[in-house]
Amino acid sequence: MSLKSYSRARAVHVMLVYTGGCNGCDIEIVNCIFSPKYDAEQYKIFLTWNPREADVLVVTGPVTKHNEKPLKAIYEAIPEPKAVIAAGACALMGGVYKNIHGDIPSEEISGPVDKIIPVDAKVPGCAVRPEDVLAGAVAALPKLLDAE
Amino acid sequence: MDEDNKITLGNSKKQVIETEVPMGTVHSAAIEPYRIRLFVEDEVVKDAEITIGVNHRGVERIMEGLPVEKANSLTEKICGICSNSHIWNSVLVAEKALGIEVPERAQNIRIITEELERLHSHLLYLAHGNEVLGHETFSMRLFYIRETVMELLRMIGGNRVQYGVPIIGGVRPRAELNQMKIQKIQEGMNLLEEKISDFAERFVSDPMIMSRITGVGTLKKEDALRLATSGPTLRATGVAVDIRRDMKEYDPFEFDVITQDDGDVKSNLLVRVLENLESIKIIRQAVNHLPEGKITNRSWDMQDTPITKSYIEVPRGKLYHSYALEEGRVRHSIVRTPSIANIGAMQYACIGSHITDAQLAVVQCDPCFTCTDRAIQIIQL
Repeated sequence: MSLKSYSRARAVHVMLVYTGGCNGCDIEIVNCIFSPKYDAEQYKIFLTWNPREADVLVVTGPVTKHNEKPLKAIYEAIPEPKAVIAAGACALMGGVYKNIHGDIPSEEISGPVDKIIPVDAKVPGCAVRPEDVLAGAVAALPKLLDAE
Repeated sequence: MDEDNKITLGNSKKQVIETEVPMGTVHSAAIEPYRIRLFVEDEVVKDAEITIGVNHRGVERIMEGLPVEKANSLTEKICGICSNSHIWNSVLVAEKALGIEVPERAQNIRIITEELERLHSHLLYLAHGNEVLGHETFSMRLFYIRETVMELLRMIGGNRVQYGVPIIGGVRPRAELNQMKIQKIQEGMNLLEEKISDFAERFVSDPMIMSRITGVGTLKKEDALRLATSGPTLRATGVAVDIRRDMKEYDPFEFDVITQDDGDVKSNLLVRVLENLESIKIIRQAVNHLPEGKITNRSWDMQDTPITKSYIEVPRGKLYHSYALEEGRVRHSIVRTPSIANIGAMQYACIGSHITDAQLAVVQCDPCFTCTDRAIQIIQL
């Protein structure tokens, strides 16, 4: 392990972006970082709201039309190397909002997330469980640590 | 809309205001996406405007034409914080329209779930409020207290966030409470009462916190009534209105309506702390006097009904659902969430406070913009 990846592994900053889901996943993700029960901060994973400081982007929600541009802008603002985690059923396949009655697409939703920005790890669940979010963050870490 | 008919906030629209501080829609200080424009003069907020609309997903549109059972479980996905309130109210609409009797045991289990949800919502509010205050220790402590509630909700419904307990005619078989679960709920309530009382004592005796939140973000009683604010935000201004008093489901239970007088951040936080203790009281009564019998009434027939309305008290205030039934399918679904009225309260609470307190003044009204993004039609009066 190089010095760079050693130091990177000791300050992983996660940014949470909310793109129009139901709030359930967001609270579980904030919960898994702040709550002393899960406490991701003990693994040196910190929550930040500044994209220029972030290493990992966690996206929840089905990406409504209005949120598409801000999401791309946030993704561009994160410095390399970066990893993206899509969390929750909405972020993975649009959830219950994507299709109205069979295959008629909803005009409000432009997701899922991997249509808009590249996704490295996917965390399923409605809503996601905090344990799964931690596992997703760990799965995305090699991309950060092995980068040049 | 011409210039004269514009709804003005305060008296400021006609003045020239030097500085505008826009925030959002995605901003580091706000977790949910919304846009707030603060009009600032000499670092004091003179006017505020909140715009929502980026979260609109059109749940009512998707509900249109779905079988009523499916539509009910879809309403749960409107909000991840008060999911049980949405599904409960939606089920109540169908039960009211079709005249279905709900067994008493099912009624009690519904009340237990709803009050647990109120506990977790209020504890989340307090944790978020303390984080915005800058007191992360209290925030983490409250998240830890909240875990007890989340575990109980997972035990009852099988999921930490969307538990889906009510169905038409009763509750899901999964949510049946046996002796072991009842005992766990009782133990949880004892633990919560102790922890919340400890926290409340520590909270009100902290001089730093008290000086930070007293007199900040004051919402006047007249403004709160004029804006049709509901829920704890209204009760924090001294108006004792709680629809739980009028709901027949809550008739067997003894509880107090908590009010505070000032309408500032301190009153808002204290109302939620004290309401937690009332919720614990209701859950204890519901668990201790859990009637025997079945939990689902399945002897009912589907028929066409006109539009039926239902109001219930949810953690944030007054929730409205209405729809008509046609061949077992939902028509003309309307959902109105409490935060749409409370947005007005947030704008008023900002006015007059320092710009650094503006975010706190918004958070004190317990915003949930996710539920609030409904399609609304503005009617010119």
